[in-house]
Order: sequence, then C-alpha cells, then structure tokens
Amino acid sequence: MPTAQIEKKPRKTSGSPYPLWFFLPAGVIYGVLFLVPTFASLYFSLTRWNLFNSTFIGFENFLSFVQEPFLIKGLINTVIFAVSTALLKTIIGLALGILLTSNIRMRGLLRTIAFFPILVSTIGIGITFAVMMHPTRGIINVSLELIGIDGPGWLTDPTLALYSVAFVEVWRGVGLASVIFIAGLVSIPRDYYEAARIDGATKWQQFKRITLPLVQPATATVMILSFVYGLRSFELIWTMTKGGPGFSSDVIASVIYKQYQAGFYGLSTAGNVILFILIAVMVMPLVAYFNRREVDL
Amino acid sequence: MSGLELKKVCKSYGAVEVIKDLSLQIESGEFVVFVGPSGCGKSTLLRMIAGLEDCSGGTVEIGGEDVTDAEPSDRGIAMVFQSYALYPHMSVRDNIGFGLSLAKTPKAEMNARVEEAAKILQLTDYLDRKPKALSGGQRQRVAIGRAIVRNPKVFLFDEPLSNLDAALRAKMRLELTELHANLNVTMVYVTHDQVEAMTMADKIVVLNKGVIEQVGKPMDLYNNPATAFVAGFIGSPQMNLLEGAAARKLGAEIYGIRPEHIDISRESGLWRSTVRQIERLGNDAILYLDVEDVGSLTVTTDGQTDVVIGDMLFATPQPQNEHRFPTIAR
Repeated sequence: MPTAQIEKKPRKTSGSPYPLWFFLPAGVIYGVLFLVPTFASLYFSLTRWNLFNSTFIGFENFLSFVQEPFLIKGLINTVIFAVSTALLKTIIGLALGILLTSNIRMRGLLRTIAFFPILVSTIGIGITFAVMMHPTRGIINVSLELIGIDGPGWLTDPTLALYSVAFVEVWRGVGLASVIFIAGLVSIPRDYYEAARIDGATKWQQFKRITLPLVQPATATVMILSFVYGLRSFELIWTMTKGGPGFSSDVIASVIYKQYQAGFYGLSTAGNVILFILIAVMVMPLVAYFNRREVDL
Repeated sequence: MSGLELKKVCKSYGAVEVIKDLSLQIESGEFVVFVGPSGCGKSTLLRMIAGLEDCSGGTVEIGGEDVTDAEPSDRGIAMVFQSYALYPHMSVRDNIGFGLSLAKTPKAEMNARVEEAAKILQLTDYLDRKPKALSGGQRQRVAIGRAIVRNPKVFLFDEPLSNLDAALRAKMRLELTELHANLNVTMVYVTHDQVEAMTMADKIVVLNKGVIEQVGKPMDLYNNPATAFVAGFIGSPQMNLLEGAAARKLGAEIYGIRPEHIDISRESGLWRSTVRQIERLGNDAILYLDVEDVGSLTVTTDGQTDVVIGDMLFATPQPQNEHRFPTIAR
C-alpha cells in the first residue's frame, strides 16, 4: 500500500514542512548582513583600526570607553529616555487604541492621523520640532506668550532637554504603538464583554479584568520594541540637541557617535558592543517575563 | 413569579426590520425554545431579552417588571453563549465566580456557591484548570456554571450545543433537560436544530423572517403545523410538501405528508414511483422516490426492508395524517 510506505519514511526536519535548502537564501542574507558584521565588529572592538589596517590591542578600547567621564551620565540618560518613552508609548498607545476601536465618528481618518508620524523621517521630525521648540522664535513659546506664559527653553535648559526629546520620540512612536494595540484589541471576542455586562461589570472592570490581561501580547510587543528603540535611540537626540546643552542629553549612542566623529573607530566599536550587550541584558528578562504571562485567546 | 413577556417588540437596523411587532408570553419555569433558520431573528430576539440589543419598539417584562431599558445585569438573567465566552486567562473557579467577584461577594460565600455549581455540573475536579485544558463539553458546563451561580430568574441559551460533536450534543441535551427539572427556572433556548427543539422544549416558538409562525408544544407542532413553513421545519426527515398541480389534485395549494406517514407496496397504491436512493439508518431506512408528475418523495420505512435502488414501488399517503395548507411556503 503506497500510503503506508509514505508514513514509514522518516522525516528529516522535525516540525518544519519545508526542506532544508528552502532556508538557504534567507540564511545567506542573514549571514552576510548580520552575522558577519556582528562578529567583525566584535573583532574590531579589540583593535585600533582605520580603513586600511588594524592593530590588536585586547580590551583596551573597552577600558577607555568605560572610563569615559560622561559615560555614566549618558548611561543614566539612556535608561531614563528608554523607560519613559516605552511607558508613555504603551499607556498613550493603549488609550488611543481603545479610542480608535470604539464606535467614534471618523474612525478611519483618526486612525490615519495617529499613524501619520510613522511615515515622516525621524530626522525631519527632529529638525521640525527643534524649530518649534526654539526658546524665542519657536511656535510653542510664541503661542504660550500669547496667553501670558513665559515658556522655558525646551532644548536649551539642561534639566529639560532630554525630556523634550523624549516627548517628541513618544509623539513619533505612539502611532505604531496604537496600531499594534488596535490589532490586539480587535482580536478580543466581543462575547467576553457581553458576558461581563450580563455579570454586571462596569466599563472600568471590563478594562481591568478583560481588556488589560487579554491585550497583553500587544502590550509586550509595544513595551519591548519601544524599550529597545529607546535604548539605542540616536537620530532625534542628535538632530535636536546633539547631546547638549553640554552633555545633559547625551545618551550612549551619541557618546559613541562623538568618538567616531573624533576618529576613535576602535573605541566607538567597543561602545557599540557594550550597547549591544546592555540591550540584551536589559531586554531579555523583560521578554521572559512577558512570555511567562502570555495568554492564548 | 419569573415569567417573561414580550409585548409588540420590534427591532430594525436602518431600513431592515429584523423583528416585527412580536408578542410572546413565557410562563414561569417553562423551557421555551426559539427555533428557525439562520437569519430568522431568533438570536436577536434572545439578545433583546438579555438587554444586549435595544428594542426599537415594544416592551420586555421579566417577572412582571418592565426591563425594556434596564441594563443586562439588572434584569435577573444569565446567558450561555455559543462560543461559551470563557475568559482564557482565568481558572474555571474564577470564570464561574466572575460575576460574584464583581459584586464583591464575600470570599467564603463565593467559594461555597462556586463549589455548589461545580458539584451540580461535575466540575469539582477541574476548578483550578484554565478553559484551554478542558474538553468542549466541560467548557460548555463551565459556561452553564457561570450562569447558575447568578441565581437568575431566566436562563438564556444562544445555540449552546452547536460547537459540540453529535454524541456529546445528545448527552448535553439530556443534561440540560435534567438541569431544568432540578432548578425549576425559566429557560429560553435558541437553536436552528429542530431535534434540540423537539427533545428539550416545553414550548417551541418557530420564527421565520422576524415573525412568529407558530407557538406550541412539540407534539402539537408536529401533529398540527399551522403553516407549510412549520410543517417543513419540524420533523426529520422533512415533511414532503407538494405544490402546483399535484397538490391541487389532492385539494390543496400545498399538500403535506410526512415520510413516516406514507405506506409503500409493490402491488398497488396512489403514486407509482422508482427508488432513486436509499439511506439505511439501521432501525429505519429513508427512501427517496421519483414519482411521475409529483416529483421527489421521501419515505421512511422499516430498516430491514429489501427494497433496492431502481425498484418500482407504489406509495400511498395515510389519509388521517395528511396536511393541507392554503398559501405557498414562505
């Protein structure tokens, strides 16, 4: 019987319906564009290098990077930036997601508006907001002046600059967050809410007991993506403040870039390796935590 | 007193009228089944009783009280959904106790009531499992448990058995009937399956296109269908409904005769026919006959019959079991 023969034949790749060579094109691309650069940068972080040659110097780059006077400040700023933008994107994204899945008028238009910032280049956003946040001529402070408020120097005040950039980063990223939340929210069956209504659940109880636990995969995605993005954030900070005033809004990525600009290639490569390890160390527990709490709908 | 009364309720979505001026009285403790084809408005009607849909007109009374504008939770009802609507992130215990925990019921009382419901439904061993780890029948029971703990005046069921396989469905039918007898509460049950309607109901409400075709006890509907639609819907296999010349010859616009009310013979009879197909069910056999000038005819006969495809048979309707309907089937 032919069917019995087919069943007897052992399967070479367990769990995958495709033969191994199907994975080759993706594997080559991944290898050339990701694996090779990663290991190359690991090597170059242990050297003093320029375009033409490199000298192996062991962990010297790492030592001098760690001794960088503004590294600690940059590290603290990076964590503040990543945590605050991730939290705000999650909270505002969820709120927008709920608003944009409810029965409001012009829902489609509003969804487009919320998503719009994603389509604009980050550099463009940075330049635009830098102009808007100019202490005397920017539209924000000019508007505030009209109602009698003396606006602060959003990007020139050292205590404020990092938070101003974080605000713009939230504005830029909240659209994507809300799109992810919308996808999560619409996958929760309506029956759950109807059953809860019959059981006498208030809107707040429905949100707390049903929406929040069941939208959790989306929450995890938004949190992790925003956190990682925040940790390695560079474009906005560079276009808006260049890490200034002074070093008040420097993050690890801008510290690395400054070293690169100064020609310390090995040093900046070592900084990148440190940033990579830092992201991995901080994000891994977060991923593990969310995976443990995952619920199948 | 926990009866239910619908007075001239209607429901429309824009220009589409789903329920038209419908009035219905359901006595306290009755098991009432709404039955009808897809899109007849039976689920909408149930959801209007539950308060999940607004009435476009008319009033809903539960236990003598007008609840037309009341919130679902204030109507004294509990509902079992087709999908069961069990919360996947909660244990069986939390699912059953969900309503009680919302109402801030003391923990000891909540546990006692959840465990009592679990005992009735044989779920005691599964209280700490998540719904994912249960079989279809067990999930169904959890959904019923969630309804029981609320001590409702009226239970509402929206096609609760349609996700189960045939054997389990038959078992759950029996369990639900027994549950109804034990709890002695009013139950309203929606289904498109006339077998469920026949086996479980004290009273069947046949709905078609948003209006009631007939209300009555299962056997009344079987014996005396008011319209051709009810005749065709109640009973399995379906009643033979003849139209046109063949029906007029027998004195009706529509002539109905059930498959079990046709006698067959090899010698003589009213209709000369050829056997097109046979379905053998064991105790019964269903014959599909081609009759000249009449068309197709379904006949139920003894399961041991020696009739084979292609045989020539005479079929004769039993005169005492004939049905005649004035208008064409809707």
